Amino acid sequence: MDVKIWRMFKRSEWYIAVLLLMFSGASWASTYTLYIKSGNWVVNGSGGATIKVWGFTDAPTAGPIVPGPLLESQEGESVTITVYNQHTLPHNFVVRGITTDQTQIPAGGNRTYVFTTSTAGVYLFSDTINSINREMGLYGAFVVHAAGGINKAWTNGPSFDIERLWVVSDMDKSRWNDIAGAGGTVNTSVYKPNYFMMNGMGGFDAMRAPNTVLQGNVGQVGLVRIVNAGQFDESLHFHANHFQIIDADGARLSSYEPGDTINVKAGTTAMLLYKFYRLGNYPMHVHTAQMETANGVYLNGAATLIVGQ
Amino acid sequence: MKALFSLMQDTLNAAWVSRLLTLAIGLFFLMDLAPMEAVAAMGKMVGGGGVDVVNATSGATLVVQMVNKTMSDGKNVPFWVFCVSGSSNCHLPGPTLELGVGQTANFNLNVMGAPQEMPPYQGHTIHPHGLDVLQSEDGVPETGAAVLGDNYKFTVDTRYVGSHMYHCHVHTVKHLEMGMYAAFVVKAVDNLGNFTNVINQTGPAFDYEWNWVLSTVDPAYHADNAVGDSTVFADYNPKYFLVNGSEGLSKTAPAETVTAAAGKKIAIRLVGIHSVNGTFQIKDANGSSQSFVIYNRDGFALPSPQTVTSLEVNPGRTVDVMATLPAASGAWYPQITYKSLRNAAAYTNGTVYTRLNF
Repeated sequence: MDVKIWRMFKRSEWYIAVLLLMFSGASWASTYTLYIKSGNWVVNGSGGATIKVWGFTDAPTAGPIVPGPLLESQEGESVTITVYNQHTLPHNFVVRGITTDQTQIPAGGNRTYVFTTSTAGVYLFSDTINSINREMGLYGAFVVHAAGGINKAWTNGPSFDIERLWVVSDMDKSRWNDIAGAGGTVNTSVYKPNYFMMNGMGGFDAMRAPNTVLQGNVGQVGLVRIVNAGQFDESLHFHANHFQIIDADGARLSSYEPGDTINVKAGTTAMLLYKFYRLGNYPMHVHTAQMETANGVYLNGAATLIVGQ
Repeated sequence: MKALFSLMQDTLNAAWVSRLLTLAIGLFFLMDLAPMEAVAAMGKMVGGGGVDVVNATSGATLVVQMVNKTMSDGKNVPFWVFCVSGSSNCHLPGPTLELGVGQTANFNLNVMGAPQEMPPYQGHTIHPHGLDVLQSEDGVPETGAAVLGDNYKFTVDTRYVGSHMYHCHVHTVKHLEMGMYAAFVVKAVDNLGNFTNVINQTGPAFDYEWNWVLSTVDPAYHADNAVGDSTVFADYNPKYFLVNGSEGLSKTAPAETVTAAAGKKIAIRLVGIHSVNGTFQIKDANGSSQSFVIYNRDGFALPSPQTVTSLEVNPGRTVDVMATLPAASGAWYPQITYKSLRNAAAYTNGTVYTRLNF
């Protein structure tokens, strides 16, 4: 660290300011810079493919990622996000349930959004201009944590031991992504997705990804935040225990609803508590025909693992 | 008349396939099977859809048989169905398994002679969906389940009194579609271990109960070449919409007709194996929606029962509802409308009617 900065940091007023922030429950303001780009996204494994996408990235020299970068804040925090549109078409940026500015950002332009995240939960951010833009990969999750970063779903809400974020989505490679990615016109009346992703991965990767696999000690509670960024409603089936739904698309439930399968509508969110009940390895998968596959290859679709240890 | 003819054809096809396969399997497993005793142990022979009802503690053995069904458009579609070994009553869906809470399920799957795929998707399993069983009993090949036959043992506590399901978990994109599913009902018991007719452990009693197994059929998935990791499974275009294995295209040709005494309490267990959205309603003869009460979802009691006139039943979910019949005689038409996963638009021929006379 630079000596001047270190000396400045050591000054007592800095200590006092930091301590006041920490103990007042207030938090640091978050600042993000996002770039909208076109590029390719790879679903690995058998049945996988390189898919033309439009997406967000927070690395100015890198390609888009699907879903976009995770955006996070705490209850009551001020957030500033600047979005640079480096694509050839106009786009916008909306955090569903938080921001309302749908102004288009022209190609080559940028726009800054400043807002306060008052309510803990999980939110979908996306381009809302049309269904194509979101299908092409312009989406991601915004997680608002409880103030102070404590392990509660929200201040005075239910506690958890571990947390996971699952962004599920679908893409119709040949009819939508290949066409739009090449500058063509998509016939939006026909949508037959053949790729179903969990955090941007096919199931083969998602069943090995540490931040996606729902893993905990028996008796622990996992908070699972789910964002369905796709065009299809998804029914996610959990093995080894029932869960409790605590939030349905931003509406906190006054009494938690039990289930082993949760239906998350396209473009909506949910939060649930899953208590690890059984030792061992179990699947979590979508319970509809083709959605378990990557272009027909079984289990390389919307699936991951539950591990009780 | 057409529906009746289809039913007769189904029955004949199923009966012949059943006889032949039962004969073949019986030669191999004559000593292994616990056939009709398991069915008879329940004291009742059929559940919704005319299927056998089997006590899950009975040591019964289920086998897998091919059944050809003639659909409403006259086309034949082959199904793979679970069937009580030794029983000629093989249907889509398979036999209902019932388990008393606190009792130990003990049943077998025998796949000798069963229709099946080539490796890596050979064989079959039983996944007790919603019963939250140990990994060793979960029926998932990818986590170690045997696919060439197995014994299943587990118990559940009072939270599970309600409706669940079981299905094959081998290459489920194919095997579920082929018909390898059925209802699994956990029953409350009295001090003697006899089943009691309550909707959940602390819920109200009912006078009648029926299982409505919801499923959809894309015939392309049933074709001979639809095996393995085929691009057939990258798309889903359901053409037939079923309740208890039947289409029920109109009120005059319902998928299921049941009868109850007027003024009594009924329970309908909705078991969602379908791969699309679905909306359940109960309408009277004039088309007016009737209220009913949701007590359980996925076999667990809701914190508070919910009174509604329309209910979404999603893939992989079960819902238990109850209603009180009018004091005067009449008919209701419980029905499910199957809808697109993309925009909830109803499918052509997507409403399946049942009829309840009282």
